[in-house]
Amino acid sequence: MKSEPIETAPELDRVQRWMQAVITHPDGVLSGADGEAARELIDAGRGNLESVVTRSRALRAADRLAIYANAYYARLIECIGDVFPVLKRVLGDDVFDSFAFDYLQAYPSKRYTLNYLGDSFVDFLRETRPDPEEEKDEADWADLLINLAILEWSIYEVFDGPGNEKTAMLEERDVVGVEASAWVQIRLQTPPCLKLLELAYPVNPFYTTVRASQDELEVGYPDTVTSYVAISRRDYIVRRYDLSRPQYELLKVLQAGGTMGEALEACMDVVPDDELDQLLVDVQQWFSNWTAERCFFQAVGTKKP
Amino acid sequence: MKVSKRLGHPNLGLGLGLRTPHFEYILEHRPPVDWFEIISENFIDSQGRPRHVLDQIAEHYPLVMHGVSLSIGSTDVLNFDYLKKLKTLAQEIDAKWVSDHLCWTGVAGQNSHDLLPIPLTEESLAHVIARIDVVQDVMERAFVFENPSSYVGFTGSTMSEWEFLSRMTEATGCGLLLDVNNVYVSARNHDFDPEEYIRAIPHDRVVQFHLAGHTDCTTHLIDTHDHPVIAEVWALYRLAHELTGGVSTLLEWDANIPPFEELHAEVLKSKKYLQGEGVQGPVVEEACECAPVEEGCVSPHPLHHSVVEVE
Repeated sequence: MKSEPIETAPELDRVQRWMQAVITHPDGVLSGADGEAARELIDAGRGNLESVVTRSRALRAADRLAIYANAYYARLIECIGDVFPVLKRVLGDDVFDSFAFDYLQAYPSKRYTLNYLGDSFVDFLRETRPDPEEEKDEADWADLLINLAILEWSIYEVFDGPGNEKTAMLEERDVVGVEASAWVQIRLQTPPCLKLLELAYPVNPFYTTVRASQDELEVGYPDTVTSYVAISRRDYIVRRYDLSRPQYELLKVLQAGGTMGEALEACMDVVPDDELDQLLVDVQQWFSNWTAERCFFQAVGTKKP
Repeated sequence: MKVSKRLGHPNLGLGLGLRTPHFEYILEHRPPVDWFEIISENFIDSQGRPRHVLDQIAEHYPLVMHGVSLSIGSTDVLNFDYLKKLKTLAQEIDAKWVSDHLCWTGVAGQNSHDLLPIPLTEESLAHVIARIDVVQDVMERAFVFENPSSYVGFTGSTMSEWEFLSRMTEATGCGLLLDVNNVYVSARNHDFDPEEYIRAIPHDRVVQFHLAGHTDCTTHLIDTHDHPVIAEVWALYRLAHELTGGVSTLLEWDANIPPFEELHAEVLKSKKYLQGEGVQGPVVEEACECAPVEEGCVSPHPLHHSVVEVE
C-alpha cells in the first residue's frame, strides 16, 4: 500500500470549503455567501457568486447553488424522520422538521453512513430542553419527547447492530434441575442486542398506541411514571418488552456479568418484604417466559458453577 | 495503453438496484433478474436484517457494490476504515466490481450525503488521480467511477467532464460507470450536447451503464430516480451501447419505488430498445410541479437507507 501523503490541492480545498459553507447555511445560499465562513475563503458575497459558479442559460449561479442547499436539509431531515417516526407523528411534521433542522446545524453528519445520522438527536433534545424552573409544563413535555427519542434510537440501534440469530440461546431445560446452591452462582450471558432502559414516562406502550393509531391527536399523552423496557431482537425483528422494576434490576445485574445470586439480591432490594415469598415464584415464571422468547440469554457464554 | 474491454469484467446483463421494499419479494419469488447492485453504505456496517437478506441474495445473483461516500474528490483525507470495510464486504459477497462517483460529499470532516461536483481543473485532476491510486491499492482491484449529475459548474473549470474522465481513467486504469441519465441531466443543466459527451469518453473503460428517471423543473433537470426512463435517455443509451459494444446495465429507482415487477419491466425495455423496436408503454417526461428554485423543488439523488422492522 502506498503510504506517502497525497499532494494537497489548495484551490480545490478553498472552493469546497466555500461551497459547503454556502449550501449548508441555515438562512440559504445568499446569506451563506455573505457569511463570514464563506467570505474568509472566497470574498464573493451574494453579489458576485458568478465569479465562482457559472450560470446556465436558465438559472443564475445562486439558483443553481440553491438546488444543493435545499436538498441538503430536505434529504437529511427526511432521513432523521425515518429514524424517529413516532416522535415525528407526535410532534407533527413541521415541529419535528424544525427540530431536525436545528439538530443538523448543531450536529452535522460526520460519518460515511446515514445509519448514525440520528445518534446525537437525544443529546440535542436534552441540550435544548426548556428550563423546568421557568417553564415546567414545557420541560415535562420535552422529557416525554426525549424519552420517546431514547426508545426509538434504541430500536434503531438494535435493528442493525449485533444480534443473536447465529448464537444458540439458553433454553429453560438448560437450567431446570440446577440445585439452588449452584443456581445462585450461575452467570447468564445476555446477547449484545439486549438493551435495558429506565425511562421517566411509559413510552413503550405509548409508542405502540401511536403506531397503531390512525390519528395521533386522539392518543392521550402519558403521565410521568418511571417505566422499564427491554429491547432485543429475534429473527432480525426488534422485540420490545415492558418490565417491572424488580425484573429490570435483576436483568441489569445479569447483563453486567453478575451472578444470579447478586441479581436476586438487587431484585429483592426493590420488593417489599411481604412480597418476597411470591418473588421466588415469580422469578421462575420470568425465566420461563424469557427463555421462551429467545431474546434474553445466550447458551454460549453462560457459566454454570 | 492497451486495455481489455470493460477491464475484463463480464457483461452481467440487465440488473436492478436492490432496495429494502423488494427484499421479501426477491427472497420469496427469486425473480429472473440478471444481477443486483447494492448501495455499499447500507450494508458495510450491517449486522442485522439488511446483511442477512444480502447474504441470501448473494447466493443466487451476481452482486455489484455502488457507494456514495468515498468522496474521491474531497480534500479531506481518505477514510481508510471505510475502505477496509468496503474491501471486506466486496470479498464476502463476491462483488463483481465496486463503484462510486466522481464527486465530493463533504469537507472539514462533514458529510453532506450529497454528490457534489468538483471544479474540472488540472489541480483537481491530479488530486483525484492520486487518490484513486491509493484507493485501488487498498482495494487491490480497479475501482469504477460514475459520472454524477450536477447542477453547478465552476468558473475555474478548464476542461469538460468527458476530458476529465478520459484523462482520469487513462492515468489510473480505473473503470467508468456511465450513467446515461446523468449525462442527459447534466447536459440540460450545463447546456452541452449529451451525444458529444458519450462519443468522447473512452468506451473500452466503460464497465457499466446506469439508467434512471429524472424530474423536469423546466429551468433545469433533477436526478430524482423516481420516474421511468425517458425516450431521449433511451436513445442515448442505444448510442452508448453501440459505442461500447454493450455492458452491464442497471436501472436505479430510489423514490416512489414501484412494485418489483414494474421495476423489472422497466429495465427489460432496454432489450426492445436495443433491438430498435421502440418502447412500449408510456414514455413521458413529467414536468415537476415545483416551487421556484429558491423555495425548494425536489431533491436530487434520493437517500436510501434501511427501514427498521419492529414488532
